Amino acid sequence: MLSRSAKHLYWLARYVERAENIARMIDVNLELILDFPDDHSLNWKPLIDTLDINDLFESKYKKYNENNVLNFLFEDKKNLSSLNNCLEMSKYNIETIKDDLPKTANISLNHLYDHILGQKISKVHQRKKLQHITNIVSMTQNFFGAINDNLSRGYEFEFIRLGRFVERTDMISRIIDCLCISKGSKQTHDFSTMEWISMLSTLSAQDAFRKESKGEANRGEVITFLLKNDSFPRSVFRSLITIEACLENLPKNTRLLQMINRIINISERSKLYNFDDRRLHLFLDNLQKNVSKIDSKIHTTYF
Amino acid sequence: MKLSWSKYELSKSYDEYITPKRTVRGHLRKIGNFFESLSFNDLQELDSATKSAIKSMGINFRVYSDEGSEERTWPLDFIPRIIKKSEWNIVEKGLKQRTKALNYFIEDCYNEQSFLNSGFINKSLITKSKYFLKFCKGTKLPNKSWAHISGSDLIKDINGDFHVLEDNLRVPSGVSYMLENRYVMKRVFPDLFSHYGVSKIDEYPTKLYECLLDASFSKLKNPEIVLLTPGIYNSAYYEHSYLAQQMGIDLVEGSDLIVKKNIVYKKTIEGLQKVDVIYRRIDDDYLDPEVGNPFSVIGVKGLIRAWKSKNVSIVNAPGCGIADDKAVYSFVPEMINFYLKEEPILPNIKTFMLSNKEERDYVFENIKQMVTKPVAESGGYGISIGKNLNEKEILKLKKLLMKDPKNYVAQPLIDLSTSPTFRRDSLFPRHLDLRPFILSGKQTYVTVGGLTRVALKRGSTVVNSSQGGGSKDTWIVDA
Repeated sequence: MLSRSAKHLYWLARYVERAENIARMIDVNLELILDFPDDHSLNWKPLIDTLDINDLFESKYKKYNENNVLNFLFEDKKNLSSLNNCLEMSKYNIETIKDDLPKTANISLNHLYDHILGQKISKVHQRKKLQHITNIVSMTQNFFGAINDNLSRGYEFEFIRLGRFVERTDMISRIIDCLCISKGSKQTHDFSTMEWISMLSTLSAQDAFRKESKGEANRGEVITFLLKNDSFPRSVFRSLITIEACLENLPKNTRLLQMINRIINISERSKLYNFDDRRLHLFLDNLQKNVSKIDSKIHTTYF
Repeated sequence: MKLSWSKYELSKSYDEYITPKRTVRGHLRKIGNFFESLSFNDLQELDSATKSAIKSMGINFRVYSDEGSEERTWPLDFIPRIIKKSEWNIVEKGLKQRTKALNYFIEDCYNEQSFLNSGFINKSLITKSKYFLKFCKGTKLPNKSWAHISGSDLIKDINGDFHVLEDNLRVPSGVSYMLENRYVMKRVFPDLFSHYGVSKIDEYPTKLYECLLDASFSKLKNPEIVLLTPGIYNSAYYEHSYLAQQMGIDLVEGSDLIVKKNIVYKKTIEGLQKVDVIYRRIDDDYLDPEVGNPFSVIGVKGLIRAWKSKNVSIVNAPGCGIADDKAVYSFVPEMINFYLKEEPILPNIKTFMLSNKEERDYVFENIKQMVTKPVAESGGYGISIGKNLNEKEILKLKKLLMKDPKNYVAQPLIDLSTSPTFRRDSLFPRHLDLRPFILSGKQTYVTVGGLTRVALKRGSTVVNSSQGGGSKDTWIVDA
C-alpha cells in the first residue's frame, strides 16, 4: 500500500472523529444549559479549554459566550479544530482515495459536508440548534458504519481504525481533563451528579455506565469507567486496546507495539479511583503525550 | 408520434445511417428499423436513462477556463455509431502498419537516422524540434516500442472512406470513456447487444497490462507497474484512476516515487519498493526536473537517469513526441514504404507545408477551402477553418502564418461524415470522428472500434469534449 494513501486514510478518520467529538461536546453543553438556565458558572469556556486554544480565541473574542464559542468552533478559519476546518481537511484527504472506500461511505460524508459547510451556525434557529448538532454526530456515525459494514479488512481498514482511535483517545482524555480540572479547581472538588452524568453523555456512555455500576454517578466511579473500562468502545482503555489490535495487523510494528503496550500497562496499573486533581491531570497529560508519541511514530514508520 | 427516417434532415456530408435517397444503409437496416419503431417519447426516455446512468456512475471530466476549472458530466449520445466488421478489419490492419512504422521512425531518429538521411524529409524539422530530446540518443527499447500507447484520429470523407487525420503519440486520453460508454449503453439497451452481434471491447485493460509488461527491461515475471498521474486537478484524472483500478496497479503521484542510485522506488507502508514500469500520464517536460522544466513539482527527480540506465521503463517513452507533429504526419506514407516495404493501407490527408513557398502560395490562394493547424498542438487548439473567416480575419491569419511558417501546416477542409444524433426531441445529422487506441508491445493491438466523438452543434466539426463535443458508443458489427 502506498504511504500517501495510508496517510490520507489515517487523517481522514482523525478529522471525522475530531468533528464528531467537538459536536458531542457542544451538544452536551447546550443541553446542560437548558437544565440550568440561570447558572452562570456553566459557561462555554471549558470547551475552549479542552481544545487548548484559548489564546487564539481571546485574540478574536472578549467573551466566552454561546455565540462567540459556537462561531469559533464551527466556522473560524484560523481555528484548525473548527468543524469547518476538520471537514475541509477530511475532504482534502479523501480526494485521492475515494475509490478505495465504499460508495456508501462517500455518500454519507457528502451529506455531512452539505449539512455543515452549507450553513452558518449563527443562521440556525435557536430551536433547531440542538438537532443540527445531534445530526452531525449521527452523520459521522453513518460514515464509520459504512466503513465497518462494507470495507474489506486489510490495510485500508486498519489505517482508518487507527486514525479514529488515536484521535478518540486524545479527545476523551482532553474532555475528562478539562471537566475535572478546570471546573474542579473553581468549585473545589464539588461536582454535582448532574455534571458527571453530562460528561458521560458527551461520550454516549450513560447507559453503559449505569449497567456496570449500579450506584450513583460520582467522581471516582465515572473517571474509572471512562479511563479503565475494557468493554465500552469510548473508554480510553478500550481505545488503546483497539489501537494495539490495528497495529498487530500492520507491518513493521515491533517498536509501535512496545510503545502501545507500555501505555496499556500504565493505564491498567494506575489506581485512578483515588487520584486527586493534580495526579489525575498529570496522568492525563502524560497519556496525551504518549499518544502523540505514537502518532509521530506512526508517521515515521508508515508515511 | 413515431420517428421516421423519411423526415430525417439530409446532410450535405456522408451520413453513416441514411443514404441521400433517405433509405437506411444496408448493414444498418435492422437497427435503423428498430429506431423507427420508437416514439419521440421513447427517445426522450432513452436520453434521460443514459444521462442518469452516467451521473450515478460519476463519469466526468474537467474543463479549464480563465475562471479556473470545473468538473462536467461526460456527454454520451445514445445512438450508436456503427461500422461493418469487414470495413473495420482493414482499418485495424492499417493502424497496425502505421503505428509500427512510426515506432520504427522514432527509434531510428534517436539512433542511425537513416530515414532522416535518405532525403525524404528536411532533417532539421526533426533535430531542431523541441520534442527531439537529445538525451534519448543511442537508446534502444524492447520491441522498438516508443509510443506504446497511441491514438490516431480517423475521419470519413464524403465517400465514406476512412482517412487518418492525426496521430497522438504522447499521452493520448479517452480510452476510459470508450469503455464506460459501452458499459452505460449495455444498461440502456440490454436487448440490442445480443441481437446485433456487437463485438466486445472490454479486453482493453488486460491488453494494456500486457503491453506494460512487454515494455519492462526487467526479467522478472511480475514486474512492479504503476500509473503516474499529475494529480486530481488534471483533466484526465478520472481516466487515470479508472485505468489503475481496472489493472489493479497503484495510481501514484510524483511525490510517491523516489530515485536512489538510478533505481526508482515507490514509498509504501512497508518501505521502499522497486518500480519496473511507469505508465506516465505526464508530459515529457514535467517528468524530471533534472532534465525538463526545473520547477516541475509533479515529476520525479532522477527519473530520466534511471530510464537511461534501463532500470525503469517509461511508457510512453520520453522523446516519442517527435513523431506526434503535424508536419511529420505528412511523411508517414514514406515511412511505411521505407521501414516496412509496404504500401500504406490507410490514406493520409493531403498536407501542405507552409515553409515551402510553392505550397504556401497554393494554400493562400485557396485559403477558404483550407484548415490551418500549428504543428505541435493537440486538443483542437490553434486550428483555423478558412471558410469560417471574414476578409479581415484571413489577412490576420496569413500574417500569423508568415511570421513562423514552419510551425504550421494546412490541409484541405474535409467534409466529415455525419450520424443521427439526439438533440432536444429528435435525431439530426452531426459530424463525427473516431479515435481508436493502439498498443505496441510484443504484438500490436487495436481497440475494437474506439472512441467516437461527435460535434453537437449543427454544422460544427469541433468534436473535442473541452469545446462542446459529445461522444457515441462505437459498434463493430457483423454484416
